[in-house]
Amino acid sequence: MRVTIHRRTRRGVALVALMASGALALSACSGDSGAMPNDDGGGDGDVEIRYAWWGSDDRHQTTQEIIDLFEEKNPGITVTPDFTDWDGYWDKLATATAAGDTPDVITQEERYLSEYASQDIVADLGELGVDTSEIPAETLATGTIDDTLYGVATGVNAYAMVADPQIFADAGVEMPDDTTWTWEDYVDVAGKLSKGAGDGVWGTQDYGFNEAGLAVLARQKGETLYTPDGELGLSKETVAEFFQVSLDLMANEGQPDASRSVEYQNAGPEGSLLGTNAGAMGVWWSNQLGALSDASGRELELLRLPGESQFERTGMYFKPAMYYSISATTEHPEESAKFVDFLLNDPEVAALQLTDRGLPSNTTVRESILPELTAADQKVAEFMEGLESDVVDNPPVPPQGSSEMQDIMIRINTEVLFGNLTPDEAADAFLKGVGAAIGG
Amino acid sequence: MAVIHEVARTRRAATEHRKGDGRAAALFLAPWFVGLVLITAFPLLASLYLSFTDYSLLRAPGWVGIENYTAMFSDPRFFQALKVTFTYVIVSVPLQLVAALGLALVLDKGLKGLAFYRSIYYLPSLLGASVAIAILWRQVFGADGLINQVLAFFGIEGQGWVSHPDYALGTLIVLNVWTFGAPMVIFLAGLRQVPTMYYEAAAIDGAGRLRQFRNITVPLLTPIIFFNLVLQLIGAFQTFTQAYIVSGGTGGPVDSTLFYTLYLYEKGFGSFEMGYASAMAWFLLLIIAGMTAVNFVASKYWVFYDD
Repeated sequence: MRVTIHRRTRRGVALVALMASGALALSACSGDSGAMPNDDGGGDGDVEIRYAWWGSDDRHQTTQEIIDLFEEKNPGITVTPDFTDWDGYWDKLATATAAGDTPDVITQEERYLSEYASQDIVADLGELGVDTSEIPAETLATGTIDDTLYGVATGVNAYAMVADPQIFADAGVEMPDDTTWTWEDYVDVAGKLSKGAGDGVWGTQDYGFNEAGLAVLARQKGETLYTPDGELGLSKETVAEFFQVSLDLMANEGQPDASRSVEYQNAGPEGSLLGTNAGAMGVWWSNQLGALSDASGRELELLRLPGESQFERTGMYFKPAMYYSISATTEHPEESAKFVDFLLNDPEVAALQLTDRGLPSNTTVRESILPELTAADQKVAEFMEGLESDVVDNPPVPPQGSSEMQDIMIRINTEVLFGNLTPDEAADAFLKGVGAAIGG
Repeated sequence: MAVIHEVARTRRAATEHRKGDGRAAALFLAPWFVGLVLITAFPLLASLYLSFTDYSLLRAPGWVGIENYTAMFSDPRFFQALKVTFTYVIVSVPLQLVAALGLALVLDKGLKGLAFYRSIYYLPSLLGASVAIAILWRQVFGADGLINQVLAFFGIEGQGWVSHPDYALGTLIVLNVWTFGAPMVIFLAGLRQVPTMYYEAAAIDGAGRLRQFRNITVPLLTPIIFFNLVLQLIGAFQTFTQAYIVSGGTGGPVDSTLFYTLYLYEKGFGSFEMGYASAMAWFLLLIIAGMTAVNFVASKYWVFYDD
């Protein structure tokens, strides 16, 4: 008996080893099946279009309501929802596209639009006759590549300094005037806050994990992350200066030590310094103010980033939250265009969606929903309105490969925080890494 | 004559019967076979082809020969991924097996409520590769996590273990060692197979517990050790979930947890270099097959089959 068991064990080992090494190694990634229940009773020779987006449960619900509304107003068109979370979205969209099954209406994002546009996967919205008359030209420019409108911004956000007035008050530090404060003031204020607010409360959260901060600094100096031709538009000095701010903030204890910074970075708005009442400042996208306010239970304020009057020009800009695009190979271009038109211009859509896809890019529609907004969102709207006259222009659509910049930024910033790279070395590594990503 | 006819008829019937069996077998095998071809074999071969192409998913694949393979060897992050993975495998697998064997020995001593303890110790194996545990790990080893609170009690100031480049991989190794339940259960089964008469005989001859362990238990257990070793090695090479969650999908801090599979995923689905990712997958297959082959050859010298 024992003999047979051992024999079997031996053969079993070989077999299992072979199967495990072969099958598992190669079929490593299995995505979600992605099949979405299509419960629309439709039928009767309906035209059916598929609408793909990413997001949270809240967004899925509102979007379904919007779809229902559209179908009600447009009998004969059925919209099939196709949604997933952010991470799965791009895997799924690329796979669907590779399989020749591109959704008719696609939500796009800045870092991916170029890639899809360059392969002519998304159509020219201008040609399809989507009404964009209520959307400011500089917002439309954020979805235009080579004079072709590949995506229309759903809404806009701004990268801003979020501040907790209560900690400022506790620490006995005055809120800075955000139109005049310099980067040196920022370091200084954060240091004072850390000292004044007592143990476990910091001045600010490290800003170096997001390239948007670098974009603002670069623009203030008359540079840009990317040129309209898709080249890097940064000087090494600017990048080094950007990293130096973090080091200065660690030196005067205006921000936490390196490993805490990494942790707070990974913790999202809810676990951030501001969200946990453990810090007075942090840079965030303006649409995150709501989540931050909810987590902190306090009334937070939006400030412009430092340095707006320190150098050549202002650096703040409006970033398209996301875009609506239409597949170039859709069988129903007319109906798809009609749907995008509806999403952009119908006040009822905006009333449902509010600021979930950014502060609506359609200014008339934006006006109409202001009274409906939460206190935090009203603050965002106000802040954006105040910014309007000072924003010189918006950055061009980033080139292909730019989706890697964030990863590179996180990696190099971490090295800087832990003291493995000097700001100078970091700047070299950053420019080299991003250069390779967008050149390859 | 009648007998011969009878025999022939029986034979014919048997053949027909067997034919029917064959059809039934084919029918029952079909679902498995279709699955194998469509879900395993086809993607497997497709990835072999893609590994020789430049393929971004959005564009049709273009043949580039062995360029992806040569590119790997001038990619510093590829080497970093190899280093991280090998460190992880070489450190965590032996530790895990020692822990598993040690506990199996304790539990084998006919403890009261064995089934209960066995389940408790097996639990981490079920949970280890899950997202929830990876998130828990991040909390436990965080700057203000459980570990540091315990350390603070003894007056030691710890740091953020998962967020420090020097320690992040260590926390993942601990996580893997902690999931020793599966090999432990197999060890337990193996220990049960060792006949007690050997121990009785040894005890009569005056061999102590340690001697018995070294000269009876270990030799008779070597096939089981070997089995566990091979399985855990292969599993460890393919570690993904823990690293993905603990590092937030980046392999950070500073690529210190950039596991091979994580980098593969990042290349494939992060920067859409499917050709490169496929080449990496095939290279991993070669590594694992090589390691397993070495294991089998080496096993001749230390694994004792009692037959």
